[in-house]
Amino acid sequence: MNLRGAQAIYLYEMARTGRTLLQSVLSPVISTSLYFVVFGGAIGSRIVEIDGVSYGAFIVPGLLMLMLLMQSISNAAFGIYFPKFVGTIFEVLSAPISPFEIVLGYVGAAATKSIILGLIILATAWMFVDVRIEHPFMMITFLVLTAVTFSLFGFIIGIWADSFEKLQIVPLLIVTPLVFLGGSFYTIDMLPPFWQTVSLFNPVVYLISGMRWSFYENADVSLWVSLSMTLVFLALCLTAVWWIFRSGYRLKP
Amino acid sequence: MHPIISIRDLSKTYESGFQALKSVNLDIYKGEIFALLGPNGAGKTTLISIICGLVNPSTGTVTAGGHDIMRDYRAAREQIGLVPQEITTDAFESVWANVNYSRGLFGKPKNHDFVEKVLRDLSLWDKKDSKIMTLSGGMKRRLLIAKALAHEPDILFLDEPTAGVDVELRHDMWRLIRGLAETGVTIILTTHYIVEAEQMAERVGVINHGEIILVEGKAELMRKLGKKQLTLELHAELTAVPDGLADFDLELAGEGRKLVYTYDTQKERTGITRLLAELNAQQIRFRDLSTSESSLEEIFVSLVKRDA
Repeated sequence: MNLRGAQAIYLYEMARTGRTLLQSVLSPVISTSLYFVVFGGAIGSRIVEIDGVSYGAFIVPGLLMLMLLMQSISNAAFGIYFPKFVGTIFEVLSAPISPFEIVLGYVGAAATKSIILGLIILATAWMFVDVRIEHPFMMITFLVLTAVTFSLFGFIIGIWADSFEKLQIVPLLIVTPLVFLGGSFYTIDMLPPFWQTVSLFNPVVYLISGMRWSFYENADVSLWVSLSMTLVFLALCLTAVWWIFRSGYRLKP
Repeated sequence: MHPIISIRDLSKTYESGFQALKSVNLDIYKGEIFALLGPNGAGKTTLISIICGLVNPSTGTVTAGGHDIMRDYRAAREQIGLVPQEITTDAFESVWANVNYSRGLFGKPKNHDFVEKVLRDLSLWDKKDSKIMTLSGGMKRRLLIAKALAHEPDILFLDEPTAGVDVELRHDMWRLIRGLAETGVTIILTTHYIVEAEQMAERVGVINHGEIILVEGKAELMRKLGKKQLTLELHAELTAVPDGLADFDLELAGEGRKLVYTYDTQKERTGITRLLAELNAQQIRFRDLSTSESSLEEIFVSLVKRDA
């Protein structure tokens, strides 16, 4: 194992994050605060409690997931796309380092950054609303699993993308709608029956539901279904990454 | 002597159907400077890229230091440093962080003394804390060499190390490469500048259309394929090559004041004596004479033409 190689990538990526601290930390914190002001304060005050939880507190797990998903994808996608774009990827490909170690470095760094951000967002939420976490262990499990899974997903997008446009297209056109329609700001049973059924095809529903359960013990779908769906998505991403390195897709002609 | 790099029946056909390499066989020996010479698009970069793991081969095998580059890629790649043709560097990192990153990537433990030495040797020590984007083109090229050397490789590939570099910098680069070779590193450089191969290499491989046309010691190559020219400066102008000299490969130059005779050094008889006797008989007098060997450039052009 070339763990030093994986560590070198990890630390290099973390240093990159460190250089753009203001942009990478401040912007999610500001946007989360805006959500709390608008949804929690302005609109939320007119909404009755949902399952015994005030609306402001209710949206915390969904918002956390929203940020976690978006940040994991964009961090990891950019992390691998940029060396591909400028050509410095040659160094990684010519190093005595296995695909697993490469992924460990890039995805590990992206996931770490998202987890730190998730915790900062949670702390921000605490300043606005009264958040309680019934199952901290489960909450951390979902936090880590989601960060890793969607960093892997971002890594795949970063390898697939051959332009900055493509790099943006999946997060903007697919992930954002899925997250907004995945119950970040409402429970699925608030929807008409038809859209409830449609929602069950949205993988993000399961993630948000699981996260919300770990906070307030109420969920759209059972905890175990949530957990299983997250693991299924993780397995899918791992398979895709395995195939990418095996075939050299977009990496090696 | 065992080759440090051994290439057998290596071929590469890209997805587009373009065959970049056609069954290449080549051995490179420890400690030598080997120049892979060929026109643009000949397959030089593809060959290097396969050895370094950037491109998958279609068929054939390559071993580096006895390790197969596919099966035993870790052991093979540990020995290899690559300086790519394009200047591809990060922009915002410092020189120091970037070179240490390269070392880490190859699994080597931190060694600040060694990295310092590499940077000093490449005159980059003063710039160690500078962001890469502030370096000049020449410095970036040296940085790429520093990165390639950071993991103490035995084999160094330099893909067109002086492409687009001014004359002074090119000479600096040559000095640098010679210095590296003196430390025992095997150097393989690709170039389409013949003068570079002529200046640097001990052996030259000529590649064209994905095939190695010839591999030869540089001096041997020059001797074998070298033609010589005898230039006679005439007393009186000639308007045409005299009829009696039609047997000789002669050309008039310098507005009829020079007679140039091209002859093959490999032939048993060069024909010089006979030519001079004939000139004497025809009372064509000359003031001075000189001979010159054909350069590697001329050899190369004739090889590539012959191959086409």
